[in-house]
Amino acid sequence: MKPEGTARVEWLRAVVAAELAEEEERRHRLSRVVRSLPQPEPRVLVYLALAGVIGAATFLRTWQINRFGFNSDEAVYAGQAAALANNAALKPFFPVFRAHPLLFQTLLSLSYRLGGGDVANRLIAAGFGLGTVVLVYLAGQLLYSRRAGLIAALFLAVMPYHVLVTRQVLLDGPLVFFTTLALYLVARFARTNDRFWLFAASGAMGLAILSKETAVLLVPSVYVFLALSPSIRVRTRDLAIALGILVLVASPYPIAIMLAGRSNTGHSYLTWQLFRSPNHSVLFYLETVPGAIGYLVCAAAAAGLWFHRRQASWREVLLASWVLIHVVFFELWPVKGFQYLLPIAPPIAILAGHAIASWKLEETLPRLNLAAWLPALTAGAIAVSLLIPAFSSIEAAPSGTFLAGTGGIPGGREAGDWIDGNVPSGATILTLGPSMANIVEFYGHRQAYGLSVSPNPLRRNPSYEALPNPDLALRTSRVQYIVWDSFSASRSSFFSEALMRYVRRYHGREVHTETISETAGGKTTRVPIIRIFEVRP
Amino acid sequence: MKRVIIALLLSTAAVVTSGLSAQAAAPSPQAQPQQTQQARTPINHLVVLFQENHTFDNYFGTFPGADGIPAGTCVPVEPNAPSQGCIKPFHIGDNDVRLSDLDHSASTFKRQLDGGKLDGFVSALNLRNQDGRLALGYYDQQDIPYYWALAKQYVLFDRFFSSASDGSLNNHFFAYTAAPFQPSKNGGTDEESETPHLPTDQLTIFDRLQAAGVSWKVYVQNYDPKLTYRTVQNYAGNRASQITWVPLLNIPRFIDDPALASHIVDIDQYDTDLANGTLPAVAFLAPSGASEHPPGNIKSGERFVQGLINALIRSSAWPNSAFLLTYDDWGGWYDHVAPPAVDANGYGFRVPAILVSPYARVGAIDHTQFDFTSILRFIEDNYGLAPLTARDASAKSIDSAFDFNQTPRAAAFTAPLGAAPSTVNNVRKRRSVYWTYGPVLLIAVVLFGVGAFTVRRRVHLERIDP
Repeated sequence: MKPEGTARVEWLRAVVAAELAEEEERRHRLSRVVRSLPQPEPRVLVYLALAGVIGAATFLRTWQINRFGFNSDEAVYAGQAAALANNAALKPFFPVFRAHPLLFQTLLSLSYRLGGGDVANRLIAAGFGLGTVVLVYLAGQLLYSRRAGLIAALFLAVMPYHVLVTRQVLLDGPLVFFTTLALYLVARFARTNDRFWLFAASGAMGLAILSKETAVLLVPSVYVFLALSPSIRVRTRDLAIALGILVLVASPYPIAIMLAGRSNTGHSYLTWQLFRSPNHSVLFYLETVPGAIGYLVCAAAAAGLWFHRRQASWREVLLASWVLIHVVFFELWPVKGFQYLLPIAPPIAILAGHAIASWKLEETLPRLNLAAWLPALTAGAIAVSLLIPAFSSIEAAPSGTFLAGTGGIPGGREAGDWIDGNVPSGATILTLGPSMANIVEFYGHRQAYGLSVSPNPLRRNPSYEALPNPDLALRTSRVQYIVWDSFSASRSSFFSEALMRYVRRYHGREVHTETISETAGGKTTRVPIIRIFEVRP
Repeated sequence: MKRVIIALLLSTAAVVTSGLSAQAAAPSPQAQPQQTQQARTPINHLVVLFQENHTFDNYFGTFPGADGIPAGTCVPVEPNAPSQGCIKPFHIGDNDVRLSDLDHSASTFKRQLDGGKLDGFVSALNLRNQDGRLALGYYDQQDIPYYWALAKQYVLFDRFFSSASDGSLNNHFFAYTAAPFQPSKNGGTDEESETPHLPTDQLTIFDRLQAAGVSWKVYVQNYDPKLTYRTVQNYAGNRASQITWVPLLNIPRFIDDPALASHIVDIDQYDTDLANGTLPAVAFLAPSGASEHPPGNIKSGERFVQGLINALIRSSAWPNSAFLLTYDDWGGWYDHVAPPAVDANGYGFRVPAILVSPYARVGAIDHTQFDFTSILRFIEDNYGLAPLTARDASAKSIDSAFDFNQTPRAAAFTAPLGAAPSTVNNVRKRRSVYWTYGPVLLIAVVLFGVGAFTVRRRVHLERIDP
């Protein structure tokens, strides 16, 4: 029974008010839902932000790029490229075929043919680094959102790990470029189920293998991804075609070796890698890589995976499989190198970018005015936490010790140049280890042997040449100079002492020294890092 | 031409003032340098090393382009009994002939030369109860790869004769005095040991240099200053050879006068002087254990020489230096060139000789006739010194081996032939890379560049119909 008169009016008012309140509540709820959805940023802003990211990445990868000369690995790859380019000064010392595929070296050889040198080679490597930053943005945008892509690209742009490696003439820069390209193409395939993208991804994986054979790990990564993602359907025929494309693109690696009559080259290297004793402890990557990627980036990626575990989709499976396969493999692989895990940096950056971009503080802190800005501020803070060590590592004072893969060798180029200008051509030099031998050969243009290279072929990298009897070589004047360096000495005091024994035994006369400044107890002194001795029987 | 005229004038003056007798011109032991002479050529440092006992044919008989062993050579076992057959030259090590120290006395020289018929090389040694076949043995590139490499890069002399038709002693004396050993008292050499026991006061090239204020030294391997002609009887075996290979140790003034004796030093000083930039203008080197004297290891001698030459090349002296490597006598080995008879003492058979210098002609074989006194002649011409005897006065200087108009060669060690780096690149490898990686790179660029349009269209379609 409906009220009458005044009561009826009051009743109607109450009904209207309730409906209005309900409407308000519904609108409020809707607005919260709408706000929680990814907001497409204006394109101009996105492009501006991306330009800023690329600008930062460019600066970090090119600032003082030629401050130090090549390290051992750079010297080898550049030397191979020079040999390919028929460079008369370097081809006697660097065989075209050593250990790895030659895609990057072939590119560098074009630079040599055009008159390029150290700087041009490093700029090409940096170019691959910048390309990877762009690819991370595209992959992040494709997988999650533009904001996630931007944050991920920012993290990679200033990440010490990626910055340090892509400033060097190493195979890992191009490798990561192509693995990230493959990641992007696989993601596009997963989104569209268009086999074109699968085939394109196979081509990118083939190019990654041609950059460095460890990219073959992408095959199990993709397999694990497809196996754990039932929503992604692939026809067997398409998989077979994709595999065929991969094999076809990667085929220059074995074919070139066979055509050159060096079919044992790759085989010997693989065999040696499989059975050699570990060069680092099992904790090596745990001690070096998280810090280089950024602890906060790793934490953000892990937190994102944890908090979004209920909404986990093929996207997280793809990224996680990319990371885990590499980590597990290289943890088991006896040879450990600082830069080997670089392919995991892009997926970790994307995971971290997604975690921060999808951080919905409005729900947990609805009254906080800064809530909408906190993700951006967090991303900025993390980027700064990466930028500082990245820039510091570029600007760091020269040190007498060195972790392979982290940059150029102080004094190496200068010592090599001195040798080139002052040591008779045709001289043979004994260095402490193979790393300095490579640098001496690259800059000094003289034959060099590392004392620590074992004459036993089962105990040495097959791409190194041993001096079977250094004492005899010195006694018979086949070796006329000895080069000691603090970097190799810090790794092996045994061989350092052995080398200096030869210096004393064979009337060593120090003819050149490279030094660095070291401050201890308020006093700055010059400390020798590379010493060149003339020796005679 | 000007240099020749000056040399002729100087030699004439020397003959007039001092006569042909070297002894008459011997300076007093107290002779001191009067002034410092400057070299007339760019060669400010001449280093001369006398190794031991090989002929040209024995070391370079198969060297391409040189006057080596003629085809069809076969030396009779017994010249007077042709039925005994003949011995063809053979590579040492390719048969059962064992190395030994072949007799190389004056009498064996005469028998081997056999009046210029060169048919007594085998029989002369057989007479000495040695295996005469060995005389026909020779070495080649695989045995002495460093020497062959030097010969290919610098100057090889194929008409360089030992000065005396005799063994070491007289040849060394010719190299120092332009005359054979002339003892100052009655007596002579012991032919068997070739060891002089008597002093001499012959004038040497170092007297001339000392008087002219030109720096000099004699570097002796394993030098024992106490071992001189006065004490040689106390030393047994090969050690006594020191006084044969260093004639100055038979001359009292070079033993007793500290100003002269101090110029005879151990070979270690050679490296020190090079390192300190104090290499003298003229340096004679005398080996000891690494002399290549048969049956010694020639490879150890070669390495010894390589060390000496490398030390010079890497020193500050290199741009103005020359290193002459030669051998003191023929050592009993075969050589197919009959030596000219220039006087009663020589020549002896050809010996190997190589000149290493920034100014040495490149890869040249010098066919000019030289002997050890040609070295003295070069020194005399270079510093304006009077000749010692008629022999060096008439000798040709080795300056024909130099090209002072060429750009001096940069310091470079010579690698033994066949020891090139194992990492030699070749066209095949480069092509195999470009022909395989090249197309893939090209296709990748085309696909990722030109195909961008396709990708954009596909992405556009995805947005329309996700």
